[in-house]
Amino acid sequence: MRFSFNPVSPEFQAENVMEILIYGTINSVSLALYALGFAMVYGVSRLPNFAHGALFVISGFITWSFLNTLGLNYLVSIVLAMVATGIIGALIYQFILIRVRGMAISEIMASYAMGLAILEGLRWGGFKGMTYTLPAFIEGSTELAGVSVDYQRLLVVGIGVAVVALLWLFTHYTRIGLALRGMAQDERAAMMLGIDSDRMAVAAMGFGSMLAALAAIVLLPLGNIVVEAGYNILILAIAVCIVGGLGSWMGAVLAAFLIGFAQILTVVYLGAHYQMVVALLAIILTLILKPSGLFGRQKELEERV
Amino acid sequence: MNKNSIKGLMVLMVAGLFVLSSGIVSAAEPIVIGSPLSTAYLYGWAAERGIKMAIEEINAKGGVNVGGTKRPFAVEVIDTRDLEPGVPVSEALLAVEKLILDKKADFIMGGPVRSEAALAAMSLLSKYKKVSILTTGVLTPAYHATVAKQYDKFKYCFRIHGEAKNIVGEMFANFTELREKYGFNNLFIIAQDVSHARGAAKVMNDVAVKKGWNVTGVEIYPTGASDFSMGLLKAKKTQTEIINIWMDMPESAILLKQWYEMKIPALPFGSTLAAAEQPGFWKATDGKGEYTLCNVVNAGNAPSDATPWTMKFYNAYTKKWGVEPEGLGTSSSYMAVYVLRDAIERAGSLDSDKVVEELEKTDIMGVYGRLRFDPKSHQVIPALDPKEGAVGSILQWQAGKRVVVYPKSIAKGSILLPPWMKK
Repeated sequence: MRFSFNPVSPEFQAENVMEILIYGTINSVSLALYALGFAMVYGVSRLPNFAHGALFVISGFITWSFLNTLGLNYLVSIVLAMVATGIIGALIYQFILIRVRGMAISEIMASYAMGLAILEGLRWGGFKGMTYTLPAFIEGSTELAGVSVDYQRLLVVGIGVAVVALLWLFTHYTRIGLALRGMAQDERAAMMLGIDSDRMAVAAMGFGSMLAALAAIVLLPLGNIVVEAGYNILILAIAVCIVGGLGSWMGAVLAAFLIGFAQILTVVYLGAHYQMVVALLAIILTLILKPSGLFGRQKELEERV
Repeated sequence: MNKNSIKGLMVLMVAGLFVLSSGIVSAAEPIVIGSPLSTAYLYGWAAERGIKMAIEEINAKGGVNVGGTKRPFAVEVIDTRDLEPGVPVSEALLAVEKLILDKKADFIMGGPVRSEAALAAMSLLSKYKKVSILTTGVLTPAYHATVAKQYDKFKYCFRIHGEAKNIVGEMFANFTELREKYGFNNLFIIAQDVSHARGAAKVMNDVAVKKGWNVTGVEIYPTGASDFSMGLLKAKKTQTEIINIWMDMPESAILLKQWYEMKIPALPFGSTLAAAEQPGFWKATDGKGEYTLCNVVNAGNAPSDATPWTMKFYNAYTKKWGVEPEGLGTSSSYMAVYVLRDAIERAGSLDSDKVVEELEKTDIMGVYGRLRFDPKSHQVIPALDPKEGAVGSILQWQAGKRVVVYPKSIAKGSILLPPWMKK
């Protein structure tokens, strides 16, 4: 079952260029937002935070609860939810992950277990169903070059670009940011310069969790908050980071655009059915062709051998 | 009183106590209904609530008369998680087997909820000779076709809610009406990548072509997909007038929000469109879901006067659970318990073969019409008139309310078009 008209005809292609550009960009920025928190934590502390998807989801529910249960202002709810998620992430590191630091498999298992505990806890607490939603920041839609697009999606792009820019400024011009970069580049050298490795790892986990929360708050108004999304977000974040190169933030952004546009092109030319395959295929191809990813600083397989 | 009289009296007292105590044990021994349900999803929790409510009502009236002994119903629920993305069918099978072997379920009721899992569970039910009544989720026609094909093996399997072929018929009845009224002719189909939805999309496509509809596209979205913009743009570009949606995943709410934000000039007409079935849909979408149509499969899942029992059930459910019946699987799960009680009482036993015989003879007026099973396929017999069989319900969101628009025999309103596609 396929789309009935010819997708390679010139008219079809001309009509689709703008759609692909606009929705490809939106999809790519969304993927980058999903992945930045994961990339930051791994970049600084070499910790694959498999609780990332759960932190994304819980921040959505925290915002919802502040907004609807406590009746707080939307902006206040957002700020408080980001802080709360950051604290949760930092606590997970301080009390759980610090004990298995340096043991890669144990780190994955422990963080995944924490993610499961959060998601199952939410479900147990009654956060199920399809009626948990966050309001859009700006209602309505407009037309860009004849393509209909809503303001919230345009805002996603704006916020995504701003986040990347602020992240760059933060890591280049602030003490904590520079310390985080120092850790990311060479942990031992950073420690010799007096940077506390564990404190920086806690900070990275906190900031990474806040980035997950920011992504959730920006993207969840497009749909609804459901526990199951946590697993999907985690897979997409991992796919982006592996393709971009684990530990590289800019690699993650570039990979987000590669995967994002590949997904949209797949939907247009092959069908939505294959959309999810793109991310998984990207992981497999990267691991076969360039295991270190596009900008990964891990040594390539040949070099290691 | 001589010694013999005292002995006789003692024997009588002991015998009396024995009879009395055995009677009490029998009365206290519950008939266990095992319910494998995906409880985190609407079709799971709504079924659980329906079953529990019926059990409470029946137990409050003394329970089930099994060959002269009153026994209460009890329910054991295991979360199969089969509606969740990535959860293998084997999880649901483990749940069914655990209910039978560990929880000692006398009957299985409710799920598994996903068609793939329910089809796989048929062999287990056959192996353990456990009577099962499906009440929610599973829409695949393959289920009752399998029973009809291998009756002796799968005779323990029943389904008391509507199935995909019948739902397709109901949809086309409405499409035809819309064609006559507004001249609609372009149909775009969006389905989730799961067995019943894929199958239904194919059937919809085939039937639409046969009926002279122009099928402008068919898109199958993977479970968990969260962006539908390209599909919706395809629909818009091809002058689609009706978007037929087969999707029970929560992300279907995103599809409907996108439809509204992009002002796609096509009527979203769903089936198993779980997000839009729930009464909370309106608030969750800030009214963006207005004009969305969805098939809630059986009457009683939305307000109507199909039978005198419909609103009685509807109001009792709302009072008990603090929310109106929310969608597919609610009224059917409730009725399944009454139908089972009826069959057990007529069989006078819990013996599976005897209960199967009696279930085949079921003929009661329930919440969504006259309930009878096809004796060969064990599928509940559908009808457009509640006096004849089990009636469906198609609702449309209008001004914050779920208004039943089909079938005409129970309709509370008619289909409205959004202002951006007024003809």
